[in-house]
Amino acid sequence: MSRVVKKRFTPKVLPVSERLRSFGEVVLGYDYETSVREASRCLRCPLWFAPCSKACPLRVKVPAFLEYIVKGDLEAAARKVYEDNLFPSITGRVCPQEWFCEGSCVVSKIGESVSVGLLERYVGDYARENGLDEKILAEMVSKNSGVKGRVAVVGSGPAGLSAAGWLRLRGYEVVVYEALHRPGGVLAYGIPEFRLPRGVLDHEIKKVENLGVEIRLNHVVGKTVLLSELLSEYDAVFIGSGAGTPKLLDIPGVDLNNVYTANEFLTRVNLMRAHLFPEWDTPISVGKTTLIIGGGNTAMDAARVALRLGSKPVVVYRRDREDMLKTARRDEVLHAEEEGVEFRYYLQPIEFLGDENGFVKAVRFEVMEPLNELDERGKKKIVGTGRYVEIPADTVVIAIGLEPNRLLMEESGLRFNEDGTIAVDDHLMTSLPGVFAGGDAIRGESTVVEAMADGKRAAEEIDLYVRRKKGLA
Amino acid sequence: MFRVTMKEDLNEQDYYLEVEAPHVSRHWRPGQFVIIVTHERGERVPMSVATINGGRVGMFIKKLGKTSVELYRDFKVGSSLYAVAGPLGRPLKLESYGTVVLASDAVCGHAEQLGLAQELAKLGNKVISIQTFKTEKEVYPEKYLAKKYVDEHFITTLDGTAGYKGHYIDLLRELLARREVKAVFAGGVLANLKKLAEATAGLNARVYALVRTIMVDGTGMCGSCRVRYNGVIAYACRDGPWFDARLVDWDDVLRRDARFKKVEKIALDKYLAR
Repeated sequence: MSRVVKKRFTPKVLPVSERLRSFGEVVLGYDYETSVREASRCLRCPLWFAPCSKACPLRVKVPAFLEYIVKGDLEAAARKVYEDNLFPSITGRVCPQEWFCEGSCVVSKIGESVSVGLLERYVGDYARENGLDEKILAEMVSKNSGVKGRVAVVGSGPAGLSAAGWLRLRGYEVVVYEALHRPGGVLAYGIPEFRLPRGVLDHEIKKVENLGVEIRLNHVVGKTVLLSELLSEYDAVFIGSGAGTPKLLDIPGVDLNNVYTANEFLTRVNLMRAHLFPEWDTPISVGKTTLIIGGGNTAMDAARVALRLGSKPVVVYRRDREDMLKTARRDEVLHAEEEGVEFRYYLQPIEFLGDENGFVKAVRFEVMEPLNELDERGKKKIVGTGRYVEIPADTVVIAIGLEPNRLLMEESGLRFNEDGTIAVDDHLMTSLPGVFAGGDAIRGESTVVEAMADGKRAAEEIDLYVRRKKGLA
Repeated sequence: MFRVTMKEDLNEQDYYLEVEAPHVSRHWRPGQFVIIVTHERGERVPMSVATINGGRVGMFIKKLGKTSVELYRDFKVGSSLYAVAGPLGRPLKLESYGTVVLASDAVCGHAEQLGLAQELAKLGNKVISIQTFKTEKEVYPEKYLAKKYVDEHFITTLDGTAGYKGHYIDLLRELLARREVKAVFAGGVLANLKKLAEATAGLNARVYALVRTIMVDGTGMCGSCRVRYNGVIAYACRDGPWFDARLVDWDDVLRRDARFKKVEKIALDKYLAR
């Protein structure tokens, strides 16, 4: 054990000075030598034990693919990853690894955990850049003989893309229905390109299409095409429609101009390229100071986008930094801090104040303090102090979370849980036989990797369901 | 995809544009709208639907901002739009009311009248249509008016050069005094819808207004189109775009409609100067 390298190797990162006005990717990742060195830090726990793999929603066989990196066989490493994860270039970039693989790494008991995310990304990018991913997928799909059935997938976000990919690999014809004019769901409208470059995302989507998956854009299921129609046309349906609707604060002034939901703010930039206005047509209006209310990944993304639009971002969270790291990916918090995003803690918004033209000019907060008690998510409970502060701001982004958009499906006959998520059984099947669901649509707000894991598992369950229905299993 | 099949002037500012969008026309019901994107760099613009001809969707568009001017100048019959999505929004739950009035004073309102008039007539209503234009020269060609679908049709012009002199609200007031109107459906200039809501405050009839808002996704995902409605937040794209006019906070709607006024001008000026 004494030979274990306790400190992780750091990846190349875009210098802060170059980030301020650029949407270029921040983390540039490992090169070959560093990835071999970093992978060598792995203790190679046997797979039956490896906590990293068990903590991964996709069950990526981490020690196995790391071993191939150490041996210098990157193609074998890629094959090992692809056995469980079709999108390593995405998960390697956006997973909160500290809550999953890296958080349970044995090395973290004596030092820093192995940088599994960066290594997964390295392998994914290597495969992509060398055409290996297409080759591996083509081999995987060629193992099927004949078409087992047809499945419709609702939504082309992480859950839908994953379901589509895995269903295709199991021998199904798949058609994905996407409401927007570009595929990718939250990966396209939510995650900024400095975290997930558009070129990478486009390639990952193309990869799924090249497998033979058809993506029908501009199709809103429940409006353009009804769930009942999908059910009669396909053997099964998978719903990966996402969390849907932003939560708003029910406080005075929330309707003022330049008060955005994080979804609107991020969609205008990430999907519609408002930062390139007027070369691109969609505008965004941002003032000198942008207050971001919330402490999750979306808040970090919005803050860093605001910074790149030339505004001064201030993240205001009602708890403290320690609790923020339970909702936001560590790297995003660190990057936001080093980029100069200001953080204010223990402040709860009470009222938005507007100017004579109806634009926001300040936000009034109540100062909060922690109680000696934890809530159900392990965060400190907080209570108001009766003291108030006012922070001037000409732009506000509300990033306090999402709730399911059940209206799109309101006449579908689906059963919903009390919190608005779609109710599913242990097999991810909804109340309608043959209709399965996964991702944020059933979880509320969750992570990309959990959505992908749902998509993968749903593919397995759908396969079983369809084969049974057809008397093949 | 989404090929332009027809483009015609309605008057000097407004035009009719018809595109192939069979996926939209299949389930469209009166009250629902579409979102169009001109090209890869285009914005998502909500549009009222004027006509459905087989798989083709027709819209009335005003040359106002960059997108609508560009669409008029650069897109010809045979060109293709980048995206057409829909139908979006909630269809209006129309009933047999008795006597109903349709009123409009701008493109979107004039467009919605066509679908509403046909559907309301089908349900056995006596349909009165009022279409307001600034002056005689701006009155749409007859085939684009609601006239052929309704029992009584009024043109009003603000300067009195054609039809009744005044705004639809003025004529509506007179009608309301004489007739037992059971429902009003109005769309067009937002500030006038606010006046309509005030004018019909105590009226024992249903009054619906088309709440046109700035949208992005159009499916309830972003909240750009939010409207203060009956004291709570509603999304025009998902819960509307038609609402009970008297429960809408019109000051809120008007204020939010001006959100991007400054930058919108930049885009248009840049386009015109190219």
